[in-house]
Amino acid sequence: MARGGGRRRTLWLVALGAALAALPVAAPSAYALTLFNIIGLYAIVTVGLVLLGSSGQVSLGQAAFYGIGAYVSALLAKDLGWSTLATVPLAIVCVAGAAYLVGLPTLRLADHFFVLATLGVGIIVNVLMIQMVPVTGGASGLRDIPGLGAWGLRVTTDRQFYYVVWTCVLAAVLVARNITSHRTGRALRAILGSEVGAAALGIDVARYKMQVFVLSAAYAALAGALYAHYVRFISPSPFSLYASLFFLVMAVVGGLTNIWGGLVGAAAVTVLDQVIRAEMPLVFPRVGGEYQTAIYGILLIVIMLFFPAGLVRRALDLGRTRREAGGET
Amino acid sequence: MLALLPQLVLTGLTVGSIYALVALGFVLIYTVTGIFNFAQGEFSMLGALICATLLATHAPLALAALAAVAAVAAVGAATERLVVQPAFGGHPLTLIIITFGASMVYRGIALMVWGADPYALPEFTPGPPLILFGGVLGRQALWAIGLSVGVVAALFAFFTRTVWGAALRACADNAFASRLVGISPRRMSLFAFTLSAALGALAGIVIAPISGATYDMGLALGLKGFVAAVIGGLGSAPAAVVGGYAVGLIETLTTGYLTPGYGDAITFLVLLVVLFLQREGLLRGARRRAA
Repeated sequence: MARGGGRRRTLWLVALGAALAALPVAAPSAYALTLFNIIGLYAIVTVGLVLLGSSGQVSLGQAAFYGIGAYVSALLAKDLGWSTLATVPLAIVCVAGAAYLVGLPTLRLADHFFVLATLGVGIIVNVLMIQMVPVTGGASGLRDIPGLGAWGLRVTTDRQFYYVVWTCVLAAVLVARNITSHRTGRALRAILGSEVGAAALGIDVARYKMQVFVLSAAYAALAGALYAHYVRFISPSPFSLYASLFFLVMAVVGGLTNIWGGLVGAAAVTVLDQVIRAEMPLVFPRVGGEYQTAIYGILLIVIMLFFPAGLVRRALDLGRTRREAGGET
Repeated sequence: MLALLPQLVLTGLTVGSIYALVALGFVLIYTVTGIFNFAQGEFSMLGALICATLLATHAPLALAALAAVAAVAAVGAATERLVVQPAFGGHPLTLIIITFGASMVYRGIALMVWGADPYALPEFTPGPPLILFGGVLGRQALWAIGLSVGVVAALFAFFTRTVWGAALRACADNAFASRLVGISPRRMSLFAFTLSAALGALAGIVIAPISGATYDMGLALGLKGFVAAVIGGLGSAPAAVVGGYAVGLIETLTTGYLTPGYGDAITFLVLLVVLFLQREGLLRGARRRAA
């Protein structure tokens, strides 16, 4: 049974990989391809957030880690002329270190203090990005960031970047799946159920929470670094608190503890955001800015109240019950 | 350098008194229900904007302010009944995300209703400002400081002299035990949300003549209120008030003496330092007693 399940999963993965590889060929327009790329970047951040959610934590500072990753990699590649093969991993290491420093004192505190601390880090980092003009270029940002490249190969087109980012997405998902389906995953689920209970079972709660937090920050940094070399221009605004909320909505839609859900959540919310941006001005013509927050807020509340496991899990469960009901009759 | 000090201190006390009101509302909900209400700042925003709209219909200021406070208190009660109460007893994460969702809803709705442009509220009593120790103190600033001191005194009397105040304190102390003596924690939770929404609205209405009223003012105000409450240790109303003044002073002194843009970053740096040092806040003392 277990082996059969494993084979079926491998088949699923191969099918998914093939579908993803074929997608750019079938993409109807350049716009769709760009959208797939953005979804890939967000999916990496969201999977990290879901990993964190598996331990019963939530962070409102993911955009800061996403942003630090982008700025570090962009600055190293642009000003020092280093290869992106070195700058992207370095950016990830820097962010992981920063997350460790943030987590050290705050992860031992109750949930809401941790949320508040990550929120504070997000705001501090955004202020620094705007104010440290000599380093970050301030509000006008950094231009002419080199694209991804190594050994003479350069990633210049959307399609090339698509394969890079989605390889990273699949790797990120598989690593996260591996973590959550083994010993660490069981420990995390115990912590999610009850921290005191987990500690009583001999689980080092603080250590596991720290590992997951650092890893989720590293995921965000990877996505940020890729973003910087993809768009080749960065400014503080895509890394504001609003972006952190956006990532949270994606993770919640997919289900805060469901790794594959993170992928679906990122895709669904990105597409929803595009639709809202296109349609809302028709309904409220004079409104600019972040009016979508109302819709996302309602989404958060409704999902947390009625489908705490996320919409994806809910849909899967519905499908299963229908199948089973169909099998009986 | 020193010539600037009196002015900065006076400004710090003014904004600090507003942060103190927000922090009070926040501590009230936290002690009674254990919920970190991330929508607290939005109550202030709604209060200020509703008051501005009522004033535009030529209602007298006092009436408009009272009506706005009452309306926001109703919003607070509705928030508790509709989205907070159903999630009671769930994972703490659920409630954090829900109150955050509520704050996003209010901000988004405010943007749709009032737009992004700031609204101006008139000063309560127009007139020339006071000169104190070489610093200028506007009349509205006096209103802000006076009202926050007055509200703290009134709350203190309410908590120590009335049955409802005692019931709230009992519920904050031990919800289970208070149920045994006939106090409904659910009703107290509703009451705490209503009262703290009213406090938040009052803070918004008082500060609006100084800083203007916009749909996104609640975020910054709420966050400063959280920092104030955390510095005060989250458990006591007087400590939260002191925390509010501390945050106000830190903010104006750093923006006055350092580069202006770093004000927010330094406020949150203080928050992180406080969290690092001790979870009880800098002002220890009677935790979970006064409010």
